Amino acid sequence: MKASANHADTIPKVFWHGVKTRAAKTIFRQKDLGIWKSISWDELGRIAREIGMGLAALGYQPGEVVSILSNTNREWMCADLGALGAAGVVNGIYPTDAPAQVEYLLSDSGSVIAFVEDDEQLDKLLEVRARVPKLRKIVVFDMEGLHELKDSQVMSLDDLRVLGREHDAAHPGEWERRIGLRKPEDLAILVYTSGTTGKPKGAMISHANVVLTCKAYQDAFPQDESDERMAFLPLCHIAERVGGEYHAIYSGAVLNFVENPETVPDNVREIAPTVFTAVPRVWEKFYSGVLIGLKQAGAMQQLAYKVAIGVGFRRARLREEGKPVPAWLDAAFGLARLLVLNNVRKLIGVHRAKVLITGAAPISPELIRWYMALGLEMFEVWGQTESCGAVTSNIAGKVKPGSIGPRMSHAEVKISAEGELLVRGDTVFMGYLNQPEKTAETLKDGWLHTGDVGKMDADGYFYITDRMKDIIITAGGKNITPSEFENHLKFSPFITDAVVIGDKRPYLVALVMIDHENVERYAQDAAIPFSNFASLCRRPEIQELIQAEIDRVNEGFARVEQVKKFRLIEQKLTAEDEELTPTMKLKRKLVNEKYRDLIESMYVREAA
Amino acid sequence: MNILELSNVEASYGPVQALRGVSLTVEKGKIVTVLGANGAGKSTILKTISGIIDPSKGQIRFNGEEIQGRDPDRIVRGGIGHAPEGREVFALLSVEENLRMGAYTRRDRDGVASDIELVYGYFPILKERARQEAGLLSGGQQQMLAIGRALLSRPKLMLMDEPSLGLSPLLTQEIFRIIVRINREQGTTILLVEQNANMALEVGDHGYVLEVGRIVMEDTCQRLAQNKDVQEFYLGMKAHGVRGQRRWKKKKQWR
Repeated sequence: MKASANHADTIPKVFWHGVKTRAAKTIFRQKDLGIWKSISWDELGRIAREIGMGLAALGYQPGEVVSILSNTNREWMCADLGALGAAGVVNGIYPTDAPAQVEYLLSDSGSVIAFVEDDEQLDKLLEVRARVPKLRKIVVFDMEGLHELKDSQVMSLDDLRVLGREHDAAHPGEWERRIGLRKPEDLAILVYTSGTTGKPKGAMISHANVVLTCKAYQDAFPQDESDERMAFLPLCHIAERVGGEYHAIYSGAVLNFVENPETVPDNVREIAPTVFTAVPRVWEKFYSGVLIGLKQAGAMQQLAYKVAIGVGFRRARLREEGKPVPAWLDAAFGLARLLVLNNVRKLIGVHRAKVLITGAAPISPELIRWYMALGLEMFEVWGQTESCGAVTSNIAGKVKPGSIGPRMSHAEVKISAEGELLVRGDTVFMGYLNQPEKTAETLKDGWLHTGDVGKMDADGYFYITDRMKDIIITAGGKNITPSEFENHLKFSPFITDAVVIGDKRPYLVALVMIDHENVERYAQDAAIPFSNFASLCRRPEIQELIQAEIDRVNEGFARVEQVKKFRLIEQKLTAEDEELTPTMKLKRKLVNEKYRDLIESMYVREAA
Repeated sequence: MNILELSNVEASYGPVQALRGVSLTVEKGKIVTVLGANGAGKSTILKTISGIIDPSKGQIRFNGEEIQGRDPDRIVRGGIGHAPEGREVFALLSVEENLRMGAYTRRDRDGVASDIELVYGYFPILKERARQEAGLLSGGQQQMLAIGRALLSRPKLMLMDEPSLGLSPLLTQEIFRIIVRINREQGTTILLVEQNANMALEVGDHGYVLEVGRIVMEDTCQRLAQNKDVQEFYLGMKAHGVRGQRRWKKKKQWR
């Protein structure tokens, strides 16, 4: 590992150091009309500088906030680095947010400039701008369909860059001055947490938080200019922002922006990333894709897969238990990979992956074991926005599926008397913007109260059992952690997500969101007629299918922890729906409220 | 009672799968419509019912009897008439000969004669042109002829593929008025495939929305016409937004 950027203590300094030292090397790629186009560090440096100086020409002052409302793409990253370079603060807004949410985030963050992706996102801003008086300018990345627009508050990114070039020529040295302006303890980015309760809270992340996290990531998951990464999770989220963008800036790894959220599976195969960070939902999708594909394969192929994955599981189990793998098993595994498993890896696109990282939500241990059986390393990590990303991680060769791993080098982690995980260290955030009382609830005596409940084993590995506020106490007085059951359920290819309910209730019930594609294919194969999504959910055969999945999971739980009844959510939910977080998890509180009638129906005593 | 039931029907053109599992029912005496964009698989549904294409999977029940994979002539004899997309009249035959072609499977001369009069009753212009070559008719008249020809087999169920294709709005209205009359007066059940969603939802009782070979929605036509997605994507109604013009489309959710 090179001693890169060690002296740089803010994001702009790390970035500018990279531009100077990696000049002609590629920093990212994005498809243009179907062809992957590379951008060098030099070019990125020039673009970011033009954007930053363009902002300066608009009177943008150090410490002022810009908001970016866009899908994950190169312009997002350019605008981010431009604004940070101009000594600014950057806030991301999810492109799936409705206008009212956009208004709240712009107002709360005090944004003076907003970058928007295209006409669709622009319309949201135009709708609410009258109520956001602080907002001075709106910059549009993609002007398609907007060339007719005459609006003094709106300009294109290209025009901003032209403005920046002129301003730069007239003010030599200003860019370099601004690069050096921010101090490590200064605010760098705002990350709004999805807020399952009340309004979203803006977590304030400092330059030191980010840079020290990157340093710790580099220790734990080393990468360099030869590594290929995918950038596809929302950049508003701490996982992609720090683990993707900033770690790439720090290490020189190449980022590949996907075309859009729907093309992720294709893009993974094209890019074949060497380092791959994703959320459990993505890993679940790959897995069920392989399983479903297998069902359509011939009997010989199915048998070959069964034997090969069996060998893989056997070897993975020995490694997991820390036992030596006999030479014959290694040889058998080599053969299994050559004949079968390498094709499975290629089918997903992870054949070059050195390390897979999963985080941001709990994952089923069986799923991790499956990837390990393919001969891959998968690390579950744990952290949150308020800790600037991961603070615990599994270790190569010593992965414990089901555990989030021991603490990483940069953070202290301990368990409080109540069982809550507490974090202390230089990457713990500065607090919530405009919410001192919420900050005081979260940061006590330098310890970040994460709200996650868990335990630690003798090797220092942590296990999360649940969110503190999610713990269910049944009418019988039994404490139950719903997420454990839910994670086992999500392992089923037919189930995307589930919420277990039962607080102050006689027994547990569940709301289940089915995997549309897989259940549809199941119905089609089994000749179960249906028309639309709701009619599919209502089919007795599908109810039985899900019941069987519930029964399977119930077997592993004690009686009081078993789910007695369930209902399917009959609407196909998308990222735009309030029920889902941007990472497509069901929001427990909201689902509890919104589907109250459906839930009540599971507690109605059947007429005798 | 359902006169027609499709369960999990799949059909392909070579390697291209056009229907990916379609299940729908048509209640006796009703007008049922299938909406969808170009290439959604609307015509394929009708062709699969009338035996022009064999489904690779699934069942088609007509009056409770499985008919999938049968030859088209048997299906016509069984009581299903098909007015195909683009009319496909026999251009070199006269109007009356075309109508008689529709009665090819019938042996009751008197019945045929009275049914020809019935068609002339619905479409008087065809009577005027009875001796003329069908290829010389206007598009609207050819459409009338195609419908008349399908009627001549005395169908219990009539499949209509885009009767509005290439017709003026006024003519479209006229054709649809007659379709409703045929349904009411003859008791003929009608399965109507249309791109003109406005018209189809107005005359239909029940509707399905088809997208890339899958049904994404079903409801009464009245409720479909009120649906936001149907309004935006099929009826061309959309909010214009703050700028007074909008190019982007919202995502379809079908609920």
